[in-house]
Amino acid sequence: MARTVSRTEITVGYVILLALVTIASGVFLSQFRYSPAIIESTVIEKQSSSISPFHAGTLGDLSRFAPNGLTPPSTPEIYNPENLSDKINGKAELYLSAGFRRLLTQRFAASDNPGAWLEVYVYNMGSLRQAFAVYSMQRRFDAEELELADFAYHTENALFFVHGPYYVEIIASIGQKKLAESMLAVGRDFISKIQVTRDRITELSLFPSEHLNRGAFALLPTDAFGFHRFTSIFTAQYAVEGTELTAFVSRRESESEAAELVVAYTRFLVTNGGTELSSTVEIPQAKLVEIMDTFELVFSRSNLLAGVHGAENREAAEKLGRLLGRKLQEVVR
Amino acid sequence: MNREPEYIQTNRRDFLRRALKAGASVAATCSLFAWLYHRSRSGRPSDDKELVTLPDFSIPGFPGKMSIALGENRADTVRRGIEALGGIEAFIKRGDRVLLKVNAAFATPPMLSATTNPLLVAEVARLCYLAGASSVVVTDNPINDPESCFSLSGIAAAARSSGARVLMPRESFFEPTTVPKATLIKNWPILWRPFRGINKIVGIAPVKDHHRSGASMTMKNWYGLLGGRRNIFHQDIHTIITELAVLVRPTFVILDGITTMMTNGPTGGSISDLKQTDTMIVSTDQVAADAFGATLLGKSVTDLPYLAKAEAAGLGTADYELLNPIRLQTG
Repeated sequence: MARTVSRTEITVGYVILLALVTIASGVFLSQFRYSPAIIESTVIEKQSSSISPFHAGTLGDLSRFAPNGLTPPSTPEIYNPENLSDKINGKAELYLSAGFRRLLTQRFAASDNPGAWLEVYVYNMGSLRQAFAVYSMQRRFDAEELELADFAYHTENALFFVHGPYYVEIIASIGQKKLAESMLAVGRDFISKIQVTRDRITELSLFPSEHLNRGAFALLPTDAFGFHRFTSIFTAQYAVEGTELTAFVSRRESESEAAELVVAYTRFLVTNGGTELSSTVEIPQAKLVEIMDTFELVFSRSNLLAGVHGAENREAAEKLGRLLGRKLQEVVR
Repeated sequence: MNREPEYIQTNRRDFLRRALKAGASVAATCSLFAWLYHRSRSGRPSDDKELVTLPDFSIPGFPGKMSIALGENRADTVRRGIEALGGIEAFIKRGDRVLLKVNAAFATPPMLSATTNPLLVAEVARLCYLAGASSVVVTDNPINDPESCFSLSGIAAAARSSGARVLMPRESFFEPTTVPKATLIKNWPILWRPFRGINKIVGIAPVKDHHRSGASMTMKNWYGLLGGRRNIFHQDIHTIITELAVLVRPTFVILDGITTMMTNGPTGGSISDLKQTDTMIVSTDQVAADAFGATLLGKSVTDLPYLAKAEAAGLGTADYELLNPIRLQTG
């Protein structure tokens, strides 16, 4: 028996079919027209009135740190690991490799002079060590240290410091005394209002104090000295017999790992054109390599990996190596 | 009273007729939708190709040339540098429509030298108009809040003061392109709209340290033409810089080394990141310009692998001395 349908049903059927075809066509055509430019613009977490909590409610809006006379001409902006490069471009890799979590920024302008403004950058790095890493890798060595925090300095137009897991930069549009005072006020207020866990970076005390350039510490989170297995390497700058030297220390998981890294790094240097030399340093298994007219000394004490990097003078390198070895010996004793 | 529904008896012929009607409806709807869709999109080349391509903006038959002007004043050094290569008239003719590709990547003040200096933008735009250019457009794609970047860097005000028009990126300004033999720039959106009607392009970039690539100069400056999630290219930075130099063949480039960002680039942040190097480079060879710029950063060609890649791709010479650069002192 033949199946029959009404005219109304036919009309409705055509309408539904047309609607479905229109939707399908739209989807089909749009997938050929994928525009990363559009996707990207929607990713940015620019916040206005609906600013999200920066870190479990401890931060929210930076305007509460602004001293009198400074008003925010811009809304706060928040960036995450996916879009950090939108704000700081190629420098994002430095933060990402150190464990970056979120960035909160906001500009403040002087009420009486819109051309005088400053921008506050608060990087949540997840831990004190990671905040210290990005702080130390960008340290301006001709800058003046401040008592503001354990790690703090300022230049003519900027203030940089570490507070718990936060690395903070405050950058002014012009070098002006009044703005410099405002930067300090923002910094002090931030530190007093944001409670963080009191923590210390114990590795810094492993470096001998003799010949040490104060404040010249750094933490290289990855690929230190071009060797991919050198992670979490602390460095300190020294001046020995007129030679600038870099000493390094890293706490490893175990004594065997530290010893194995000595061998691996030596092999890496030799593979890249270095020549292993006989060291006069009285440290068991210490390795000395000459590479491209510089000297690398590397050794281990217990689970501590240590050495001297890129020294132009062999005697100075070995002298610093002895000092470092003695200091580590005291620590592990 | 219930009315008996009207029934239609179907057979094979009816079925085929209805199937044809349905098919025709589908085809008509698709055609209508496609027509409306394409009509609403602007900035597409007239031949309606899917991918856009940038023409070669270099001056035909003009050999690689370079000038190195020493001095503190950006306007003086760039003017003298251009004069040394034959004057602005050698590059810009009456009626030319010029695009100035600046570096406006950050919402930072000119003092930090993270962006193209506004005085330089104003002077180059002025020179272009002096040579008879009918229009000068200034553009870049900072991604993050372009208005703030152009405004706080001083570029917008400088451009307008010299009669140039600032074109800030909008979603509709991007079109996909593919660079021949490229591994990265394949069907990738670029800031294309500002190029419409343009017949000369000048790249203007500061000399900066760059955390990823080692240096940001004239070739890296084209990065600002990319749309999309371009940060993924940082993983292969030397290749993307080379491909960008293949994409854009400029009329000439200006490399501003009056103040060089020696450390903490490309953002900098502190005046202490900067060094007064008092050098302005003007060149028709972007590879040579960047090779010289590397020396201002205390780097060599081997420190910047993209220079060798670009040279191997036939984009210029990393041995800038081969161009017999004209050196001059200003001021």
